[in-house]
Amino acid sequence: MVWTSLFGIITLMLLARALGFAKAPVLADDAEARRIAGDALHGFRPVDAALALDKRGALVAGGDGRVALVRPFGDRWVVRVVNGAAVEVKAGKMRLQSGEFMVPAAVLDLGAAAQSWAQRL
Amino acid sequence: MIFPDPVQLAVPLFIIAIIVEMFAVRSGARGDYDWRDTATSLVMGFGNTFAAVIFGAAIVSLGVGLHQFRLMNIPVAWWSLALCFVADDFAYYWFHRTAHRVRWFWASHVIHHSSQHYNLSTALRQTWTGQLSLSFIFRLPLFLLGFDPKMILFCAGMNLVYQFFIHTETVRRLPLGLEWVLNTPSHHRVHHGTNARYLDRNYAGVFIVWDRMFDTFEAERDDEPVRYGIVKNLATFNPVWVAAHEWIAIGRDVVSAPDWRTRWLAVAGPPGAISGDTADHIRASWVASAAVTADITPESVPAE
Repeated sequence: MVWTSLFGIITLMLLARALGFAKAPVLADDAEARRIAGDALHGFRPVDAALALDKRGALVAGGDGRVALVRPFGDRWVVRVVNGAAVEVKAGKMRLQSGEFMVPAAVLDLGAAAQSWAQRL
Repeated sequence: MIFPDPVQLAVPLFIIAIIVEMFAVRSGARGDYDWRDTATSLVMGFGNTFAAVIFGAAIVSLGVGLHQFRLMNIPVAWWSLALCFVADDFAYYWFHRTAHRVRWFWASHVIHHSSQHYNLSTALRQTWTGQLSLSFIFRLPLFLLGFDPKMILFCAGMNLVYQFFIHTETVRRLPLGLEWVLNTPSHHRVHHGTNARYLDRNYAGVFIVWDRMFDTFEAERDDEPVRYGIVKNLATFNPVWVAAHEWIAIGRDVVSAPDWRTRWLAVAGPPGAISGDTADHIRASWVASAAVTADITPESVPAE
């Protein structure tokens, strides 16, 4: 029974992958990043956003001073408020470590905007 | 009358249905899958069966023990089976409502809501800690009433099997007025939503009439797509973390609480009571902000 179940799990997982259910999400533009952050954080009013150059993440500033990180998770997005996170900027790349357990550091290539966004956190 | 285990019998059907849904979605039907999300859901379902094996016997023994003190002798017949099914679904409604309103129960139930997808594999994303939460206590009155224990377990299994099939986006609305009576894919999509309008709504198992009776019903709106998941979505597919994250959060909140009132709130208050993000608070804020620009009144979206 155990082996049958494991076989079933692996078969369905491989089938899903073979059918192409393995997308990596990409943000279309700033507006999409703002919408995702606004939807995910109740009461968050997005006013500004900076997209990573590969469009696989973004920082979104709220009207109340909070800054949200929009990061990919599977084929979806996960949003976290990152004010107070440990930030490191090197050559336009921002490395963010929120300190939340089981959440790895995020690296966003924000180019010239990286330094100014780091100061907001 | 023989009462088989409906869930065991339905497992092959579950697998076939998931495969059919995957191909349907690939062919253009509504819905979506992600292989990592599906793998996590299936592993959670697999672990749930282990928990049932480990703790199931003790819980069944408890039910059978209570049945010794039954209030009446309800015979095993078709009419009592129908009555038991309805009574079990009523008990399920109250379990489910409590599971969303009391963090101790939510710590187990949150697992089922932790996917940002809504497909048939999501139905199998089940808790490993339901027995720890004591979620079985809601069915104990059925044993005390006098329903046959095997009949109760059969009805509970049938309820679960029914609910598997409503975890889909491929079906929009059911015809023939069934949307008024039954919990349908549409009603249950609302239940899995994190939109302020949809939070903590539609607790039904099989019959949506309980939500209509107790003012917890919300219809799915075509102009407001459901955003699936939880208020603070998980950022890992690790099944152990999926199973344990809310228990660990409770532990942290209890340890860091300044007084006993806060500790009690951390364990038995509504989910989000410590962070300030309860469903009632989120809904009230949304109503307050939306009422300015739309035709929403607090009465139209009642708090619990």
